[in-house]
Amino acid sequence: MLLALQLLCDGVLLGGTYVLIAQSLNLIFGVMGVVNLAHGSFIVLAGLFTVWFAAHAAINPLLAIPIAFVVLFGVGALLQPVLLEPLMGLGAQQAELLSLMLTFGLDYVLIELGLQVFGSSYVSLPYLQSTWSVAGLTISKSLLVGSAFAAALALLLSFWLNHTGFGKTLLAASQSEVGAVSIGINVRLVRLVAFAIGVGLAGAAGVLLILVEPMAAETADDFTILGFVLIALGGLGDYRGVAIASVLLGIAQSAVGFAIGGDAESVLPFVLLILFMALWPQRFRRAA
Amino acid sequence: MAKPEIAAEGRQQARTRLPGLWQALPWAVIVAAFIAVPAAGSAYAVQLATDILVASALAYGWNLISGFTGYLSFGQVAFYGIGAYATALLVSNTPVPWYAAVCIGGLLATLLAVILGPILLRVRGILFALGMLGLGRILMVLFSDWDYAGGGNGMTLQAVLDPTAIYIGAGLLAAASFAINLWFARSGFGLDAMGIREDEAAAAAVGVPTTRVKVIAFALSAVLAGLAGGLVAWNRSYIDPPSMFDPTIDLQTVVFVLFGGMGTVWGPFIGALILTIAGEQLLVALPNLELALYGLLVIVIVRALPGGLVSLANRWGWLMRPIVLAPRQLPAGEPPPPRAAPGRLGSAEPPAPVLAVDGLGVRFGGLVAVDGVSFAIAPGETIAIIGANGAGKTTLFNAITGFVPASGGEIRLHGRPVTRLPSHRRAQLGMARTFQIPRLMRPMTVWENVLAAARHGGQAHRAVAHAVWVVRTVGLAEMWLVPVGRLTPGQQRLLEFARVLALNPDLVLLDEVMAGMTKDEQEDVRAVIRRLGGYGVGAVAMVEHVIPAIADLADRMVVLDFGRKIAEDTPDRVLHDPEVIRAYLGEPPP
Repeated sequence: MLLALQLLCDGVLLGGTYVLIAQSLNLIFGVMGVVNLAHGSFIVLAGLFTVWFAAHAAINPLLAIPIAFVVLFGVGALLQPVLLEPLMGLGAQQAELLSLMLTFGLDYVLIELGLQVFGSSYVSLPYLQSTWSVAGLTISKSLLVGSAFAAALALLLSFWLNHTGFGKTLLAASQSEVGAVSIGINVRLVRLVAFAIGVGLAGAAGVLLILVEPMAAETADDFTILGFVLIALGGLGDYRGVAIASVLLGIAQSAVGFAIGGDAESVLPFVLLILFMALWPQRFRRAA
Repeated sequence: MAKPEIAAEGRQQARTRLPGLWQALPWAVIVAAFIAVPAAGSAYAVQLATDILVASALAYGWNLISGFTGYLSFGQVAFYGIGAYATALLVSNTPVPWYAAVCIGGLLATLLAVILGPILLRVRGILFALGMLGLGRILMVLFSDWDYAGGGNGMTLQAVLDPTAIYIGAGLLAAASFAINLWFARSGFGLDAMGIREDEAAAAAVGVPTTRVKVIAFALSAVLAGLAGGLVAWNRSYIDPPSMFDPTIDLQTVVFVLFGGMGTVWGPFIGALILTIAGEQLLVALPNLELALYGLLVIVIVRALPGGLVSLANRWGWLMRPIVLAPRQLPAGEPPPPRAAPGRLGSAEPPAPVLAVDGLGVRFGGLVAVDGVSFAIAPGETIAIIGANGAGKTTLFNAITGFVPASGGEIRLHGRPVTRLPSHRRAQLGMARTFQIPRLMRPMTVWENVLAAARHGGQAHRAVAHAVWVVRTVGLAEMWLVPVGRLTPGQQRLLEFARVLALNPDLVLLDEVMAGMTKDEQEDVRAVIRRLGGYGVGAVAMVEHVIPAIADLADRMVVLDFGRKIAEDTPDRVLHDPEVIRAYLGEPPP
């Protein structure tokens, strides 16, 4: 019983750290409909940067969150108009095909960047390594902090989308481009900001993830797949659904990891993806 | 944009510019080079040539599923790795000779594709791409954990290395992969695949068995990747999971095909040839930057030259795509033989209706879009389905043709229940439809659009002859080799009718074919609809908003309101029915 509670607790906290991966990608893909295969490499670059930052700057590594957000926001704001915006006028199917290939290429450029700057080995962050004991449960401080920050940022994003003028504008533009243009919304700017914020939040997610698990440049695609799986399970653009899916996946992974082993835990998202395709393929279609 | 640019005159240009000997020249060069490398070259040259040939086979395999069929695979390594491991395990543990082991590896990769294809190939785009990426990862982890296959340490093969034999094997593999691509580019099967790439729903509407075509293309791409993996395993005599399921092999493959030209016959070979050689040089100059260079190249090509080098060559009329199964000149057309009307001859019973819809319902979640609609169309009849916007007219059509599933009721075509059949089967059985906005294969020619349908309809056994007749009959003979993108909207509408006739259908469903047309264009379309009966069409159903344009064409009208049938009668009576008027115009003021 205690073991089950422990696994549940670990799973919820692990899932909590996933929330931001999923929600940042949900903004780019679920809401704006841009396929971004490079999402995981932004996450990993931020994670590797955090380790470097913690080693070189004698301040709290959590300060890497705003740095990663701002830098990657800038990177996103530079890349979107140059690479992705020109594909927007080509029709949905063609735009998806070309942005898939384009971000596939970008993914490897970023992975190579990570390899060259930070090396190829797995790294982790020696921060908050201790645990608390509460009612017989062991709670890792890093998991708790990572999870709490990720959930807070995801909530902030959700609030921004639903309760601010620009957020609502963004949701409107995602519903109907023609409608948005006809009421004077600058759709290009909206797409740029949405992509930049999504990439910036991927950076924040990377900083939080390195607190809880080791990363290497080559693991970038694992996070990309994880993000898409969570969106698939939770529903495109559905913030509550994706948050629930994140927590459920965390619990499933912690249970599978305990029952079968670490490798099974790490491939679980891929297996779920293929199961999902077998069972509910239509669910992944973006509402027209 | 990623598709090759296709000039309308492609076929003729290819013929006049490269007659006889000139066409054989590239072949002579390739064969001579293939023989010269082991005869005169160093061991390094043989290895480089082997690498080029294996890379071509991988590129050609990817081209089948991604270039021709439009499903982007980023996980060809799954098949490559399976081929490699099967070869290694067989050679190490059994007396099977290496070439037989490689072939068995290819078959196992195909088996995996045939099993997983129907699942993975359901939704194109990101989901398929990620599914393949994930499949590669799953297999990498599985093989790392499988101690019998060496686990994470990999396997060393006791290879009796004969570089020339491997080189010849790679040559055969590359030649076979080229031949399969050539077949895709020139055959009716390849046309089906390209139809799926351009518009999968429209392909199903003309009878293309989409799942079967996709799975076959996927399986063929898998066998090429599997054989390539087997050859590489034997060639290197050491394999481990990270090198055999290395995602950068997919990156390389994508770059090669993009660089040469996606969905073209020569593109993958040109890309593999140039980039393998250039890669060797570049890696010496810039070690460890392979990933970034390839990634950058993908970005640059997608943005600057999405058709690859072949699209450049096309500007000078070189390497043109031949028009699929086009005769040298358009012959005179012959009409299809009149069909025997089922149930009519030698039978005392009245003829079965062409279409009988009985209590048909369609639900989207909680929304009832079509609610218990029943009607029938007798042979020779034309009926019109009218109703205000959102009344469920198009959804009714989609349910009849199988594009949305019916939640209740039954649909019978000539008395045969078709409610559970996929849309391509209904098209094959004689149900043809148009779409509100024409959905055609835009980069392809008028001829190919017509032929794609003719291959699956009632005249499939004489598809080419039937397509000729259709092209002539609808008056598109002048522009039979023009790409659809260059037709006027009116001509595109005409081509939709041509595609309908190409199926040689019994029942034609026309979805708002006159919307947004001028009076003159409407007259043209009305003339075509009047003639449909003379072309062997048994019955016509039209959804239309332009009531005056159809009132005299229709024998009966069915009126829908909020998914329900509220009236069915002759046009004259329906248009004076107070309930119909209320449904269209709302309640009269008190």
